[in-house]
Amino acid sequence: MKFLISLAFKNLTRYKRRTLITAGAIAVGLMMYIFIDSMLMGAEIESVRNLKWYETASARILNEEYWENRHQKPLDISIKNPDKIIRKLEENGIMATKRMTFSGDLILNSDDFGEDGNLPVSVTAIDPERDSDVFEFGSTLMDGRFLESGEDGVLIGSWFAEDIGAKVGYWITFVGRGNAGYVAMDLEIVGILNCPNPNVNRTLLMMPIATADEYLAMDGAATEINVALPENADVDSDVIRIQELLNGDNLTVMSWKAMAADYLALAEAKRGGSGMILFLIFIIAAVGISNTMLMAIFERIKELGMMRSLGMSDGKILLAFMIEGAGIGIIGSVVGVLLGIIANFILINVGIDYSFILRDMDIGYRIQAIFRGVWNPGTMIKAAILSVLFSTLFAVVPTFRAIRTDIPACLRHQ
Amino acid sequence: MIKVENVVRNYHAGETVVRALRGVSLEILKGEFVSIAGPSGSGKTTLLNLIGCIDQMDGGEISIKDEVISTMKKKEKTNFRRINLGFIFQTYNLIPVLTAYENVAFVLSLLNLPEKEVNDRTMAILKEVGLEGMEHRRPSRLSGGQQQRVAIARALVKNPEIILADEPTANLDSETGKEILDLMKEMNEKHKTTFIFSTHDSMVMDYASRLVMLHDGQIFSDKRR
Ligand SMILES: Nc1ncnc2c1ncn2[C@@H]1O[C@H](COP(=O)(O)OP(=O)(O)OP(=O)(O)O)[C@@H](O)[C@H]1O
Ligand SMILES: [Mg+2]
Repeated sequence: MKFLISLAFKNLTRYKRRTLITAGAIAVGLMMYIFIDSMLMGAEIESVRNLKWYETASARILNEEYWENRHQKPLDISIKNPDKIIRKLEENGIMATKRMTFSGDLILNSDDFGEDGNLPVSVTAIDPERDSDVFEFGSTLMDGRFLESGEDGVLIGSWFAEDIGAKVGYWITFVGRGNAGYVAMDLEIVGILNCPNPNVNRTLLMMPIATADEYLAMDGAATEINVALPENADVDSDVIRIQELLNGDNLTVMSWKAMAADYLALAEAKRGGSGMILFLIFIIAAVGISNTMLMAIFERIKELGMMRSLGMSDGKILLAFMIEGAGIGIIGSVVGVLLGIIANFILINVGIDYSFILRDMDIGYRIQAIFRGVWNPGTMIKAAILSVLFSTLFAVVPTFRAIRTDIPACLRHQ
Repeated sequence: MIKVENVVRNYHAGETVVRALRGVSLEILKGEFVSIAGPSGSGKTTLLNLIGCIDQMDGGEISIKDEVISTMKKKEKTNFRRINLGFIFQTYNLIPVLTAYENVAFVLSLLNLPEKEVNDRTMAILKEVGLEGMEHRRPSRLSGGQQQRVAIARALVKNPEIILADEPTANLDSETGKEILDLMKEMNEKHKTTFIFSTHDSMVMDYASRLVMLHDGQIFSDKRR
């Protein structure tokens, strides 16, 4: 065995170029896999965070009928006494904040915006004092100031502001339908938020819930109560716990996972993409190793005839060539993992700026611009082991071909 | 020790059948130094391959040390060769990435001998064939004659009963060829190993203690001297 290993490695040095090219192809494939896996994983982690921080919170309490009608943003399917529920949650150590979302038209005035215009929008009314207990908008302020309770002010997402040419101090008019019929609100843009979640940043209009309540005659009702849960909490069991606290009241609790089902399905599909790359490495190893071994065996067919004449068994010959295949795989894996670590180091510390795509296109990930990687030793080890395994296995087929050739034919070969 | 009885070997090349051996019978005793001679295409290589258990006959029987070859399975033949037969080739067939020492030790590694024994026997045989001091050279740094000496050491190191050599001197100049034959003869006498070698060179035939002449796949003459 020791002899076979030493022979295999000596034979690898015999065809340096071919060994290096095959190992190099495996290494590049491996690096790509490590890199892309890291990027997707990083994107997922950041997306989930940005989803919870700016979109769904950890969980949300809604009127039972709200979720299926959510696209209309109905104000009449609401939570009648949100403050009571929030107090109850607080007594049980759970932070929560009420919100109201509604849709209508935004009227842009030519005095501020240069020309008149209107566009359909949706507005999120928040409790300025409590919203930061659950969401993280407080730290995203780019210009102006945060909302004050009860004022006729509005915050706007920076991409939205850019798209319509809005600035702090401009006035907008919102026209919508409240519980007492159509209303118009004149609101001053008091601040611009640069929200890292592009889906939010592209559309965000945020106003104080007290102001909205008054205009829309909501009588203290809210459309949702958002709940913050600890980072590593078991969301599903907490949801059940909250549901029990609510007992009845026509209310339901949804976890962020349930609300973001579309996103999670998409992330799953993208993870399949990195599986494709693993498959690609498989093909590289298959074609590369088979071909390299085939050439090596063909060139050494006479030597093989000699070894078989001297009584080397088919099993040992197979083993010898499998070790050679494994050798190529090991070189490829070591180099590939090293390259992967270097690439990943750059990905983690510098990242890739995808803002040119993400600014105008929704690709699902809740990342505004820079994709960063994460360290995932499990992926590296798994991919390296698989590469070696593939490489070893793909030496088998050409070796079988050689073993099937009869010995005199091997020896006669020029 | 080797009994060849009425052996037939046909090659099929498309429609035509080449009758390489057409009923060859021969008995070789232990320790003989036999030359199989004959013109090109007379069946020398075919006969050596059959005795060497690396080819299959179409008729007749060969037995070596009372073991019948034709009924052996592939694995049994491999094991039989590993223990009983040594080979010397016209083109030496050394492994180029291994040193002279490693090329010889390779054969013993197949027998799973302890490292110390491998080392001792390899060094001893290399000294015997006159390669002392060149153990760590690779084939590329050895002359043709020296390479064939390594091959002889490789064939001898496991102390086989029989060594088969197909045209062992055909790639060497006549001077070196003689040296190789002298060495083979010396080893034959010293180790009592049976040598069977083929040639079409009359100078080489002169070395043999027994000359078997093949012609068209049949034995044409068989003389001891
Ligand atoms: N694999 C093969 N397929 C077809 N015919 C073959 C094959 N091997 C040998 N022969 C034929 O069998 C005959 C005997 O061949 P063999 O190689 O035994 O002769 P030889 O005496 O060794 O000749 P040489 O001196 O040229 O080596 C020749 O006619 C040869 O063409
Ligand atoms: Mg021949």
